[in-house]
Amino acid sequence: MRNLIKMITIFVLALSMLLAACSPKPQATQSAETSEPEVPTEAAVTEAPTISASTDEPITLTWLILEFWNPDNVIAAYQKEHPNVTIKAEKIGFADLFQQNQIRLGAGDDSLDIVSVDAPLVASYGARGWLYPLNSTFSSEEIDTWVPGAVEAGTYNEQFLAAPQHTSTQLLFYNKDMLEAAGITPPGEDERWTWEQVAANAQQLTHDDVYGFTWEQTTAAYQLLPLPLSLGGNAIGPDGFTVDGVVNSEEWVNAFTFYGDAFNSLGYAPKSDTPANEMFKNGKLAMFVGGSWNNLVFSWGPPEFNWGVSRFPYFEEGETVIPTGGWHFGVNANSAHPEAAAEFVRWLSAGEGADIWWGADSYDMPAQKSIIESFSTLPEFQTPPLYFMQVAAREATVNPVPRPVTPGYLEYEQLLNAAFNDIRNGADPKQALDTAAQRIAQEMAKYQK
Amino acid sequence: MLVKRERWTPYLFILPALLILGVFRFWPIVIGLSESFYSISFLQGGAKVFTGLDNYKSLLGDPVFIKSVQVSVLFNLIINPLQILLSLGLAFLVNQRVRGVEFFRSIYLIPVAISINVSSLLWKLILDDSGMANGILSLFEIGKQPFLDSTSQALWSIIGIASWIGVPFWMLFLLAGLQGIPAQIYEAAEMDGANGMTKLFRVTLPLMRNSIGFVLIADTISNFLLFVPVYMLTQGGPELSTNLVMYEAYRRGMIYGDFGTSAAMVMMQLCIVIFVVLIQSYLFREK
Repeated sequence: MRNLIKMITIFVLALSMLLAACSPKPQATQSAETSEPEVPTEAAVTEAPTISASTDEPITLTWLILEFWNPDNVIAAYQKEHPNVTIKAEKIGFADLFQQNQIRLGAGDDSLDIVSVDAPLVASYGARGWLYPLNSTFSSEEIDTWVPGAVEAGTYNEQFLAAPQHTSTQLLFYNKDMLEAAGITPPGEDERWTWEQVAANAQQLTHDDVYGFTWEQTTAAYQLLPLPLSLGGNAIGPDGFTVDGVVNSEEWVNAFTFYGDAFNSLGYAPKSDTPANEMFKNGKLAMFVGGSWNNLVFSWGPPEFNWGVSRFPYFEEGETVIPTGGWHFGVNANSAHPEAAAEFVRWLSAGEGADIWWGADSYDMPAQKSIIESFSTLPEFQTPPLYFMQVAAREATVNPVPRPVTPGYLEYEQLLNAAFNDIRNGADPKQALDTAAQRIAQEMAKYQK
Repeated sequence: MLVKRERWTPYLFILPALLILGVFRFWPIVIGLSESFYSISFLQGGAKVFTGLDNYKSLLGDPVFIKSVQVSVLFNLIINPLQILLSLGLAFLVNQRVRGVEFFRSIYLIPVAISINVSSLLWKLILDDSGMANGILSLFEIGKQPFLDSTSQALWSIIGIASWIGVPFWMLFLLAGLQGIPAQIYEAAEMDGANGMTKLFRVTLPLMRNSIGFVLIADTISNFLLFVPVYMLTQGGPELSTNLVMYEAYRRGMIYGDFGTSAAMVMMQLCIVIFVVLIQSYLFREK
């Protein structure tokens, strides 16, 4: 008996460690008594920049950003203008950033001030009251500086919650030498192949350990949603919640049968997790569809062969649909200095900081119209690879379709990505999409009660 | 007077430890239990509302959770006996009095010394479609194996990686138990004419009952709590084939922000583990 008690004690102690890890802080979610998100009054927000600018009280703002961004120049410039403000950038990997946001914002962590938000997650964070409204932070002139659609992407329930910094578009990158060696005429920079052409040529280009084609974000909704959309499918039901009959519709099944075949029965796309741009540079991949940011990556270390870009493909029977959306910056609703953080976001997204940020080797297409317009005049943008940013800027205006706006976008994306991964690994597309529809519907239900 | 004071002395000695355990161990259980009775209502502006047993009821009809319980039970049915047998075998091996055995003992401990995050990452690279494992297989003209991408292999890969780390660790405890058996008992058994097998089953294993019992229970708990290799290698896939309850609880709580459901999952897993450990404790009780 004593032994039994001893064993149970050991076990309870170990299990309690698990619970300690999984239990949220008591303040993780708003209590019923304080259920209304704290929306600051207009006066508070408009006065805020003055307060932060005029007080000498030292403030430290923590900014969670992607590891491959370079924030040093904007931080130095801002701190010079605002000697009492110290900006501390915490860098984190792409996949981890989403989880860090979720955990820290969800736990009511007040040590995080400025948040990097992927555009489709604005609604998700907004529905949870995690972002500080920025409606009064920006003037209408400042809002006009961004590309159309960017403000909508940062708005949820009429609250402007995240200021756009980047947008994005996709291009087809190809190894010109490989195409010519295989007797394939490379597409022009403003030419648009069909997916059927891509598949046929990719099979021809696949041999030994060289693959013909892949998607850069191989299993990501961002890059793959245009496939079913090009065939006339929808991303989500009109209510922003319905997925059954939508993500497992005939158009989706057809699109993802095409996708699954690329990795399995036709085998022209690699299943390896090696980044597409690396395989491309190493001569192991003839073509890939990838973000316009690859032009900048290649400008730092160009491939040692002739290469080019063309427009994002579409299905022969379908329409052209281009991925879009990018990073926004928001302010944590639980930040100890929301006004000061909002002022920094204003300066960064619509002020002097936007130009410095772009000049500091940021990766993506800027959301500021004036910077995109400067591509046509900047000397370094007149020859490839940066010249291809002009192609990307033109492509960004052709039917860009943002990812669906729904508070459940995170679950929607994660579960779809898992289904795409399964299809890539050989699962039946219809079955994988049916399962995804069922699981997403189950997660969406919580937003409706 | 002195007697009365002495009566309280032991309690005063254990009081600091009890306080720490209470705050850092038992209080989180209470919070977790309480959290499992609440849900977020998005129609009420994200308010936390008391929903009683609703989280538990919905989990009982949730095919993903049920599948994750099945995967966890299957995983534990395989990995626990496997790890105990391998640890025991390894303990016997490194208990041999041969030259350089200390070197082998150190070598076997390397997986324990490496952080589980690092070893998971290494295994991810090794088991990748174009990783080292497939490279070695190709030398023998064996086709590429989808170690982490196939429903028939992924769980086995996780079992292999977890055992790579777990076996040498549990071996240490079993080795200590093995070395704690006095040599005189073996000598006495030999004088009674016992052969190798008889000594193993009539002397060694019975005298290692406490060590094996401890390792079995601690190993079971640790494997029910296994999270890192799943998180880093498969994210519960493909097709939920490695979706252990711990990973699903993490996903619901930390990724989807549904702490109530996550806490309910952990509580239900707690019940399963209590049940399993009670059976194990009964089987290994002192007779």
